[in-house]
Amino acid sequence: MMRSRSWEKVFFTILGAPAAICLTVFFWITSVLLTGIGTIRLNLLTTSALQGGLFEMIVGTAYLLLGAAGVAGPVGVFAAIHLTEYARHGRLIRVIDQAINNLAGMPSILIGLFGYAFFCRQLGLGISLASGWLTLALMMLPIVIRGTEEAIKMVPYNFKEAALALGASKWETVKSVTVPSAAPGIITSILLGMARVAGETAAILFTSCVLVTRGLPKSPFEPVMALAFNLFVKIVALGESPDKVFGIALILFLLVISFASVGIALRIYYRRKQPWLR
Amino acid sequence: MSHNKCASPNFLKSFDKPVEKLMFLCALSSIVFLFLMLLFITREGMQALFTFGADFIIGPVWETNSNLYGALPLIYGSLMVVAVALAVAVPIGVATAMFVEEVLPFSIRDLVKSLIELLASIPSIIYGFIGVLFLAPQIASLFGLSSGTVALTASLVLAIMTIPTIVSVSGETIAAVPKEYKEAALALGATKWQTLKNVVVPTAKSGILASVMLGFGRAIGETVAVLMVAGNVAVIPTPPWNILSPVYTLTAAIAMQMGEAAVGTLEYSALFGLGLILFIITLVVNSLADIIAKKGIKGEKGL
Repeated sequence: MMRSRSWEKVFFTILGAPAAICLTVFFWITSVLLTGIGTIRLNLLTTSALQGGLFEMIVGTAYLLLGAAGVAGPVGVFAAIHLTEYARHGRLIRVIDQAINNLAGMPSILIGLFGYAFFCRQLGLGISLASGWLTLALMMLPIVIRGTEEAIKMVPYNFKEAALALGASKWETVKSVTVPSAAPGIITSILLGMARVAGETAAILFTSCVLVTRGLPKSPFEPVMALAFNLFVKIVALGESPDKVFGIALILFLLVISFASVGIALRIYYRRKQPWLR
Repeated sequence: MSHNKCASPNFLKSFDKPVEKLMFLCALSSIVFLFLMLLFITREGMQALFTFGADFIIGPVWETNSNLYGALPLIYGSLMVVAVALAVAVPIGVATAMFVEEVLPFSIRDLVKSLIELLASIPSIIYGFIGVLFLAPQIASLFGLSSGTVALTASLVLAIMTIPTIVSVSGETIAAVPKEYKEAALALGATKWQTLKNVVVPTAKSGILASVMLGFGRAIGETVAVLMVAGNVAVIPTPPWNILSPVYTLTAAIAMQMGEAAVGTLEYSALFGLGLILFIITLVVNSLADIIAKKGIKGEKGL
C-alpha cells in the first residue's frame, strides 16, 4: 500500500506535465505577440489604410462582428427558446439537435464556400459586408443556441410556474420571466460567439473582404477590409515579411482574447452565482 | 418534458401566435442551412465529379496547369497531417483533462480550464503566423531542411489547436462520472490513482473517444493555420510516411485556389468537389462522435 501511495504521486505529477505544456504554450504565444507591441503606435489605429494605418480594418472587423451578432443573436435565442420551452421531445428535435452539433463542427472554409455559392452568387449579394454577416452568423449560430439553452435551463422552474399560476400565457412567461432571468447567460453566449468569429479568416476569405477599400463601406452591399483577411493576404499572397504585419496580428489577438476572456469570466461568474440564489 | 406543456392551458391556443412560428423557423434554421450547404456545394461541384468520375477521388495528379484534378494527394495530405497531430494531441489532451478534473484542487480548476479555453479561441491565422515565424525555422534547423514548412510543422500547429477540444469534451465526461462510483472504489481501499485508472477512465471511455472524433473533425477542417505552414505541394510524399516533406491539404487547396478560379471553370467546380469530400468526412465523423457520446450516457443510465 505504501508503495502504491508513493507511486501515485509520481503518476499524478506525470499527468500534470501535459497540462503544464498547454499553459506554457498559451503564455508563450501571448509573450511572443506582446514583443510586437513596440511596433504599434497609437496613431496607427486611426490612420487610414491608404497611409499604412489600420483604421478601416479595425472598423471593418467591428462592422462584420456587430452585423453577424445582429443576425445570429435573435435567430439563435429564438431557436433556443423554441427548443427548451416549446418543442415536444421527438424525432424532429433529435434531428435539429444533431444538425446544430454538425453545424458547430463544420469547417469554416466550408461555411465560406457555401457563403460564396449561396449568399454571394445565388442571392446576388456579391462580395459584400452583408454576405460576410450572414456567413459569420452561420458560424455563430450553434454557439448562441447552445449557450442560450444552457442559460434558460438554469432558470428555476418555480419562476415559470409562478408566472403561469398568475395567469400569464406561455409567451408572456417566456418574455417577462424566462428570458430576463437568462439574460446574462444569453449575452455571454453572444460574446463567445463573437470571439469565435472575430479572428475568422477562412469564412470571409471569398465572401466579404478585399485588401484595400477607399474609405469605409457606405452600404452593406460593399466589400470591407478586415484585420484577419489583411493579415492572411499580406503573409500568404503578398509574402510580406512577418515583422511588418506584427501590429495587425497583435491587435487581432488582443481583440479576440478580450472578447473570449470577458465571455468566459462572465459565464463562470453566473454559473457560480446565480442572482436568484442569493 | 411533456408536463410543462400541461402547465399552460393556453398552449394550444397560443400556438398560432406568429412569434411562436417564428421561433420554430429559427429552430429549423440549422437543419435548413446544413441541407442548403450540401445542396449548393454538390451543385457547384457536379461538373468536376461528372468529368472525372471516381478519378476525382483516387486520381493521383492535382495540376491546375494541365486541368487535371485528382484529389488523392490532397486527401492523403489532410489525413497524414491530422493523424500525426492527433498522435500528439490525444495523449496530451486526455492526460490534461484527467489532471484538471481529478487532481487539481477545485479552486484553480476553473482558472486552468478557462486558460485552455482561451487557447482554443486564438484565431487560426495567429497560430499560422506564429508557426511561420517561430516553429517553421526551428523545424528547419532541427532537421537540416531548406524550408520548415512541412507536414510535421503543420501537425504540431494542428495538435496545439486540437488539444483544447479534446480537453474540454473528455473533461466534461470525466467530470460526469457519478461520485458514487469513485466513492465505492475508494471505500474498497483503492488508491486515487487506481480509482482513476480502473473506474473513472473506463466509465468515461465513450466520451473520451467522442472527444477524439471531434478533435479529428476540427483538425481536418482547419484551413488557414495549416496552409501557412504545410508547404502546399500536391504530391504524396515519398516514402508516404515522410513527415518532413511538404503536403497540400483539402482545405488549403480550396482557400489558395478559390481566389483565382473563375466561376464555371473546371477548377472552380473541382474546388467545390473538394468541399463536398470534406463535408462528407466532417458530417460522418461528427455524427459518429454524437452517437458514441449519447451511447455512453445511455450505458451509464442502464447501470
